Amino acid sequence: MTIVLAALDSSAAARPVLETAISVAAITGSTVRAVHVREDGHEVPAALARAREVPLRELEGPVEEGLLHELGADEVIIGVIGARGTPAGARPVGHIALHVVERVAKPVVVVPPEALEVPARPTRLLVPLEGTEACAEPVVALLQPLLADDVDLVVVHVLTATTAPPMVDHPDWGLEHWSAEFLARHLPDAADLRIRTGPVGAEILQAAADAAVDAIVLCWSQDASPGHAAVVRTVLEHAPMPIFLLPAGPR
Amino acid sequence: MSATVDPPSRISEIDEDPTWVVPLPDDLALERVGEAIGAIGNGHAGIRASLEEDGPGSGPLFAVNGIYDGEPVPRLLEGPVWTGLAVRDGSRRGRRLDLRTGVLVRHDDDSGVRTIQLVSAARPHALALRAEGPVDRLDVADPFAAAPPTAERVRRGDVDLAWTAAPGGGGIAVGVRDRVEVVGARRVVERIGAWAAGPSGPPDLDEVVARLDELAEAGFDRLYAEHRAAWAERWASAEVAIDGAPDDELAARFALFHLLACAPEEGEAAVGPRGLTGHAYGGHVFWDADVYVLPALAAMRPAAARAMLEYRIRRLPAARAAAAALGLRGARFPWESATDGTDVTPRQLVGLDGVPVPVRTAEQEEHIVADVAWAADAYARWTGDATFLAGPGRSLVVETAEYWASRVRLDDDGRAHIEGVMGPDEYHEAVDDNAFTNVMARWNLRRGAALLEEEGDHDRAAAWRRLADRLVDGWDPERGRHEQFAGYWDLEPLRADRLGTRPFAAPLVLGRERVAGSQIIKQPDVVMLHHLVPEELPPGSLAADVAFYEPRTSHGSSLSPAIYAAVLARAGQPDRALAAWRLAARLDLDDLTGTTASGVHLATMGGVWQALVHGFLGMRPHPDHLSLDPCLPTAWRGLTVRLRFQGQLVAVRARHDAVTVECEQPLALRVAGGPTVTCAPPCQRFPVAPPAERSTR
Repeated sequence: MTIVLAALDSSAAARPVLETAISVAAITGSTVRAVHVREDGHEVPAALARAREVPLRELEGPVEEGLLHELGADEVIIGVIGARGTPAGARPVGHIALHVVERVAKPVVVVPPEALEVPARPTRLLVPLEGTEACAEPVVALLQPLLADDVDLVVVHVLTATTAPPMVDHPDWGLEHWSAEFLARHLPDAADLRIRTGPVGAEILQAAADAAVDAIVLCWSQDASPGHAAVVRTVLEHAPMPIFLLPAGPR
Repeated sequence: MSATVDPPSRISEIDEDPTWVVPLPDDLALERVGEAIGAIGNGHAGIRASLEEDGPGSGPLFAVNGIYDGEPVPRLLEGPVWTGLAVRDGSRRGRRLDLRTGVLVRHDDDSGVRTIQLVSAARPHALALRAEGPVDRLDVADPFAAAPPTAERVRRGDVDLAWTAAPGGGGIAVGVRDRVEVVGARRVVERIGAWAAGPSGPPDLDEVVARLDELAEAGFDRLYAEHRAAWAERWASAEVAIDGAPDDELAARFALFHLLACAPEEGEAAVGPRGLTGHAYGGHVFWDADVYVLPALAAMRPAAARAMLEYRIRRLPAARAAAAALGLRGARFPWESATDGTDVTPRQLVGLDGVPVPVRTAEQEEHIVADVAWAADAYARWTGDATFLAGPGRSLVVETAEYWASRVRLDDDGRAHIEGVMGPDEYHEAVDDNAFTNVMARWNLRRGAALLEEEGDHDRAAAWRRLADRLVDGWDPERGRHEQFAGYWDLEPLRADRLGTRPFAAPLVLGRERVAGSQIIKQPDVVMLHHLVPEELPPGSLAADVAFYEPRTSHGSSLSPAIYAAVLARAGQPDRALAAWRLAARLDLDDLTGTTASGVHLATMGGVWQALVHGFLGMRPHPDHLSLDPCLPTAWRGLTVRLRFQGQLVAVRARHDAVTVECEQPLALRVAGGPTVTCAPPCQRFPVAPPAERSTR
């Protein structure tokens, strides 16, 4: 049995986190378990878990270490955590959530507090790919095997000066060939490829809106220190939907 | 006790010369790239280098020249891939394309399986494969396992047959017969195949079986020997050797290999931008065939070039109808064509983020009309076939000239204009008086006039010459260079070399509108004229045009680097030329465009040959002589090219201080702008001054 672990606190993010965990469990054939590290009262998590009939484990001690311990369990395949306490929070991700996603070697879904319309069963996930093997590999290795067949992956590739194809012989024929090979090479089972130009973070957000996806999947290096993960920060700050963060690199 | 000795392998070794053998990538992500790079063919038919056991990431294709499906925008019809075998625990390692003998070999140490495949260069319809491996790793399997799902199947006796046919389109059938033998612990599978195809409907299976019977009688070893001999013959008139640069030598031979394999020597040849090595562009025929590929074939395999021209000749009725539909005279060849010669350019394609984008090349890239005429003339110049332009090729020049005569508009000052066109630089649409289009049209009118004069039609010839003289050509005497089109000087003066690392596809980085309003261009446009029709341009204008336009060129087309290599060499900059040449020569080997998976870039390969011959050797075919003006990069000690000029084999061996010319008969030759001399067979050496001591051309 595989588990999707929902990390509940007492903030406004708790309900979207639990709803997201339930929806992720629906497309991964898993069951949901909730965990709460007592810090600021347990009434909200307990009430939410009770209402959705989800078992809740309450822990004492440091929050970050507690969550990491729970996420490390073999049966846990995906963690779900709140991005921040309130929609108007000052940071895209709270410091505890950030430290957790930087350290866990599993997919973690970060849920913004405003993600109140989580579908019971997501059907479309947006996967931004920059065109490197390191970027696509976690999707293929970590996420795809967990997902039910009816979940479509929509790839978006934002062209920049460094990632645009260097040559496109025919204005449009050429892009067609390049796109076909891009998908075949990086995510052959994807349902669609959207190619956009512009600021990467903003274009990912717009693509998510245009493609009406239920969540965004981002691979990242798990380094949120200044000067790193600018795209991830932008998406976490502005996306109104859950974001799957997949650790890239050696595990 | 006697030791058991394995019998010798039935898979012949190839000569592992690194300047003749191309290793295919073994990375799964590059599977389709390897399939295109390692594709083999004989001009009539070709097959991609897919693993015999197929597998993930594979994009197999067996295709036949000129056979399309019946869709409104037709595409090359996928024929039955015939190389299926059961290989257990196989890997991608150890696969190589032997350029010298035209075979695809596999020495897979993981499975112990070895294979060799060929599409016979000696017999147009012959296919052959031999495989050998441990009995538990290699076995016969469905030979057509990787055939398209639409393929139909039947077995007749010991022959497996499969065919594909498209409603309203062509059909391709393949038959194979396997012979299996177990030798000790190894199994040997020998497969001989034959194909037949037609432009309409399913082909005749009886024909396939009859061909197969004939081939089976010959046997694999004889077919292989004939094939090797045929490739040796091809290379005998297509030698290229680069002294001091083995990697460059391999890249050059790789380009020549695919050029030599892209067109048949009989009938007609529809050469698409990727030949038979992939689906890209549907296999449609563009100007790539006429301007980039044909000159190389005219000098290496003249009969194949003639077949390419035959493709145009047989589509003259459609070209005449296209002109008439516009209320014009003559013949207007389409930007893209397939079976019947009508325009099959898609009118709309999917652009960024799925947004439909109108395609205007069909309406505006009219320069192809003159490009076809230029190709016919290039063929005549290389082969010396005087009967061609007076006979079957006449219409390609005269009727295209007639088109321009009816197409241009005379203004009140008597100047002639061509408006609303697109030149090779496709970043700028619907421009007026594009220099490339106008000068090519002018050349076309003058060449057509010359043919009319030979026929005694002096009045029409004179009228065409007058019209040609009136065509504006963008020459700006104050600036000392050509304006690419009317209004180009006023565009935003962006330079591609200051925007980032080239090559880059400018519209994808800056946006279409920004690029269209700027001086950034995709590929040689004015500069292309210096390559194709230098005699049409003011003496001394090459250096100024190259100096101005090269920094503004993004090289966002695979057609760009090789032409710049040629003109930079002509402009006395051979080291810069070499950098551009390497970009072109490595384009597919390194998958620089990210699109080699959908086929190798034949036009680039033609450009690679042209840069060697026209650029670094400074060779030009003239009706009464061959001119040479070598200008080698410092990294090369020497460059040798062998080709056919006016019926005889000519080898040019250039070094930095001299050029040696081998010929079979006395050859009129002009070296480095000197007087015309007669080169005596078998060879003669001519000293040349280093580029620095010569004046800029």
